[in-house]
Amino acid sequence: MAAIGVHLGCTCACSAVYKDGRADVVANDAGDRVTPAVVGFLEKEVIVGLAAKQSRVRNATNTIVKVKQILGRSPNDTQAKKHIAESKCTVVEKAGKLRYEIDTGDTLKFVSPEDVAKLIFSKMKETAQSALGSDVNDVVITVPFDFGENQKKALGEAAASAGFNILRMIHEPSAALLAYGIGQDSPAGKSNVLVYKLGGTSLSVTMIEVNSGIYRVLATKTYDNIGGVCFTEALAQHLASEFQRSYKQDIRGNARAMMKLMNSADLAKHSLSTLGSSNCFVDSLYDGIDFDCAVSRARFELICSSLFTQCIHPINSLLEEVGFLPTDVNQVVLCGGSARIPKLQQLIKDLFPEVELLTSIPPDEVIPIGAAIQAGILLGKDNLSTDLDSITIECSAINIYVKEIGESGAETFTLLLPSGTPLPARRQHSLQAPGNFSSVCLDLYESVSGKSNGSDPCKFAQIVLKDLEKKASGVHDITAVLTMKRDGSLHITCTDEDSGKSEMITVEDAS
Amino acid sequence: MLLEAKPEDLSAVTKVLSAASVLCQVEPVGRWFEAFIKRRNRSVSASFQELEDEKESSDESEDEEFQLEEFARLKTLDPKDWKNQDHYAVLGLKNLRYKATQKQIKAAHKAMVLKHHPDKRKAAGEQIVEGDNDYFTCITKANEILSDPVKRRAFNSIDPTFENSTPSKNEGRDNFFEVFTPVFDRNSRWSNKKTVPKLGNMNTSIEDVDAFYSFWYNFDSWREFSYLDEEEKEKAECRDERRWIEKQNRAARAQRKKEEMNRIRTLVDNAYSSDPRIKKFKEEEKARKEAEKKAKADAKRKEQEDKERQRQAELEAVRLAKEKEDEEARQQALLAKKEKEIQKKAIKKERQRLRTSCKNWNYFSDNEAESVKMMEEIEKLCDRLELASLQSLNETLSASAKEDGKVAVEKQISEVNAQLKKEKAEEEARMRQSTKGAEQSAAGSGGSKSWSEEDLQLLIKAVNLFPAGTNARWEVIANYMNLHSGSGIKRNAKDVINKAKSLQKLDPQQKDDINKKAFDKFKKEHKVVPQSVDNAVPSERFDGVDSLPWTTEEQKLLEQALKTYPVNTPERWEKIAAAVPGRSKKDCMKRYKELVEMVKAKKAAQEQVMNATKAKK
Repeated sequence: MAAIGVHLGCTCACSAVYKDGRADVVANDAGDRVTPAVVGFLEKEVIVGLAAKQSRVRNATNTIVKVKQILGRSPNDTQAKKHIAESKCTVVEKAGKLRYEIDTGDTLKFVSPEDVAKLIFSKMKETAQSALGSDVNDVVITVPFDFGENQKKALGEAAASAGFNILRMIHEPSAALLAYGIGQDSPAGKSNVLVYKLGGTSLSVTMIEVNSGIYRVLATKTYDNIGGVCFTEALAQHLASEFQRSYKQDIRGNARAMMKLMNSADLAKHSLSTLGSSNCFVDSLYDGIDFDCAVSRARFELICSSLFTQCIHPINSLLEEVGFLPTDVNQVVLCGGSARIPKLQQLIKDLFPEVELLTSIPPDEVIPIGAAIQAGILLGKDNLSTDLDSITIECSAINIYVKEIGESGAETFTLLLPSGTPLPARRQHSLQAPGNFSSVCLDLYESVSGKSNGSDPCKFAQIVLKDLEKKASGVHDITAVLTMKRDGSLHITCTDEDSGKSEMITVEDAS
Repeated sequence: MLLEAKPEDLSAVTKVLSAASVLCQVEPVGRWFEAFIKRRNRSVSASFQELEDEKESSDESEDEEFQLEEFARLKTLDPKDWKNQDHYAVLGLKNLRYKATQKQIKAAHKAMVLKHHPDKRKAAGEQIVEGDNDYFTCITKANEILSDPVKRRAFNSIDPTFENSTPSKNEGRDNFFEVFTPVFDRNSRWSNKKTVPKLGNMNTSIEDVDAFYSFWYNFDSWREFSYLDEEEKEKAECRDERRWIEKQNRAARAQRKKEEMNRIRTLVDNAYSSDPRIKKFKEEEKARKEAEKKAKADAKRKEQEDKERQRQAELEAVRLAKEKEDEEARQQALLAKKEKEIQKKAIKKERQRLRTSCKNWNYFSDNEAESVKMMEEIEKLCDRLELASLQSLNETLSASAKEDGKVAVEKQISEVNAQLKKEKAEEEARMRQSTKGAEQSAAGSGGSKSWSEEDLQLLIKAVNLFPAGTNARWEVIANYMNLHSGSGIKRNAKDVINKAKSLQKLDPQQKDDINKKAFDKFKKEHKVVPQSVDNAVPSERFDGVDSLPWTTEEQKLLEQALKTYPVNTPERWEKIAAAVPGRSKKDCMKRYKELVEMVKAKKAAQEQVMNATKAKK
């Protein structure tokens, strides 16, 4: 049994397969692990992927890029309008729906964005199936967090018409977390993870709380005006000015030359992520002049310095929104192709000096891998409830602590049950008391969950274990089991491991 | 390190938690999410995973105890008699039985194998029976059966420890719930449906009790009896034998299944008949129905009474009103009578007065005959005149002299006579009217269909055309009428007969009337045509006076004149006109032209006919 995870981005699409307990990105027929999400309509055929991207220089009006921006959107949508304004391919409105106008010689065709997405999905399916060698239709598809009902529906329809059986649609940041298996090994514990996704045309930052292996999005921000393309453009502008400086020719007004330059700048940008310098070479760029220019990584970073600040700023505002300090974040996941840029990684690392930066998986493959893992989890499960997009569950609202004495003698609070734990929950803790005590007291405190560690804990109960045997050396092992029901009522049992003595209390919730 | 408790401290809750649970939106990803949802859907409380682990460990520890117990009997088991062995006991799961999970069975088998495998025992120096006869085969067999869901179900179905008995009605009479609750609990394990309704207690609502019994009456059991098959299919040597075995087994299973269903049925029947709640419900129902019936009857009776009372009241009112009316009428009649009498008297008196006054004046004449006539007239006057006029007449008579009186009387007489005449005329008119009405009504039930002049003409024509004695004469006439009538009214034989009879009955004057009318009509019609022609051809000379038609006499005279005065005669037309009296020269010329035209037309027609016949020839 195998399943597929597919990520359709604005610029690129990528698919991963889950097989034999492993999720792997599969390379397409051109040998690339990531396929450009570009569809070109030629006179007799339709091409998808790299070939379409390359032929765009000559066939710009019949080549569709960034279809995701328009998918499932109404003509009045601001993002759709922006896309229509930028698109080289004419977009018209037909019966309230947007259609691409494709002119391939004899007849004028109107292609819906769903059909374009379908072509890309078909390509991804082909890629996955050729890698698996079998016909696999079960798929998990990722969607951005800001996708609305209509867009999800349109995407789902496109995938379904490509022959996919959609197991579930998951959000991109969650898929990224799943790819790294955060919180998947043991269900206990709580952590905050920042997902930083810098895609081709958009930037999104998301704060996710992982509690008991369940992900909960605390806050998310999407910026549509910045993305990898901005870096390429900046580099292309630089190259154009270089060209002007050496040949006294301004090529900025020449669309075709600029497109060639963009393609070249894109390649240079990619190699600059790994190499210190890159050579940009375009044959016959303008007026028969060949263009050759070397760009160093330092030069690139200088050109894009303002873009970097733009890219980092959203993190700060997100932290502000959820009220976290950089130290409250336990992990940072990078995804999106442009998150490869070394400078960007350095800037994020500077922002979170003590935090682990997860980059072991290539950033543009993180999301499809997560989707494939999810597909593997769902595989073979019957009665899949598909409408799980927005499921709500009961979670505990308070942190529960026990007061202890630290080694230095100061009072410390040990967290027994963190807030946001999905209910019903059961937590077992082993506590220790000095062996020379004949009785132990567990002072239980609560504090309402809030920004950082919130308000001061206040005491709500105590459990006393008496008549314990004194031990000259060693400690008393006390096991505390906390059980919280769905309505929020709490039940605590404490047992002394040596004598088997136990005490229990039940605390009702406020309501 | 935890704190030490103070001596006076006790476990206590000092305040409730400040916040209840909150609803959070979570991402549907990851295995823990799936586990959570699964748990939630199954509504298993607490951490399912952990609890299961705990249970398993405890089960295993219990298994150990059984096996120790079981050792002695286990070794005596005969592998050939596997069918009658309790496989759960063999694996040491005697207490868990059908509740044991696959995991537990597997674990138990593993433990048994470790202990009882021939190789192990051989190593321990025990004597081993060679081949399949060793008791270890029983363990293998038990595992084989219990690890296969189908075989396990078959074995569970005939679980030797299951008590098939059902309590009788009498047993459940006194302590129904104590007797039946365990039986239903026991049998509910055969249900295909997971949730089996409980018998409940005395306070269970009727809906729940109904649901309980309907569940058990439609009990869907998974119990089957393939384990008890006499023959084994695998033993068969050929296909036919296998088929035969299969048939046998199927019959036996069906039989057992039927018995099982009967058993459940009996159980439920017994329970139902001795269920005190059902009895109670039935009684309640009966009481309720009776009460309802009674209420209904009461309501009906009351309604009837009300109606009766109302009717009585109405009748009374009507009676009273009638009485009052009658009384009034009588009073009025009395009054009128009195008045009439008074008037009569007055009239009598006045008449007398008139007579005497006239007598006094010798009836205004000296002549005997005249006076007699006057007397008659006076009598007439007395009869006819109203009280008031009589009075006034008498006043004038008494006040005036003889001559004046005569004038007055005569004037009165003439007035009276005129009135009489008028009355007579009116009477006659009325009479005629009434006869006419009678006639019209006699004109038939079909008289509703009006008979126009044309229709009457047509009828007369038809009656003459089909004389008496024609076969189905009146139908024929009716058909003829329908065919030829322009009025479009359909008439049947009856209508026609009626009309014809009424026509026969008509007096000759009316007949004349009709004829005249017909003639007028004819004239009118025939006049219209030439007029229209004249109108259409205004160029023709037209004298205001229309000439009268030529009589045969005149025609003859004209022809004669035409012959006597040939064409070349001078002043021919003057002479012709002189020869024909009453006709002017112009008339004659016109007539001549007409005649010429007619002759010409006749000749043309004849020629045409001739040509036609010739052409035919």
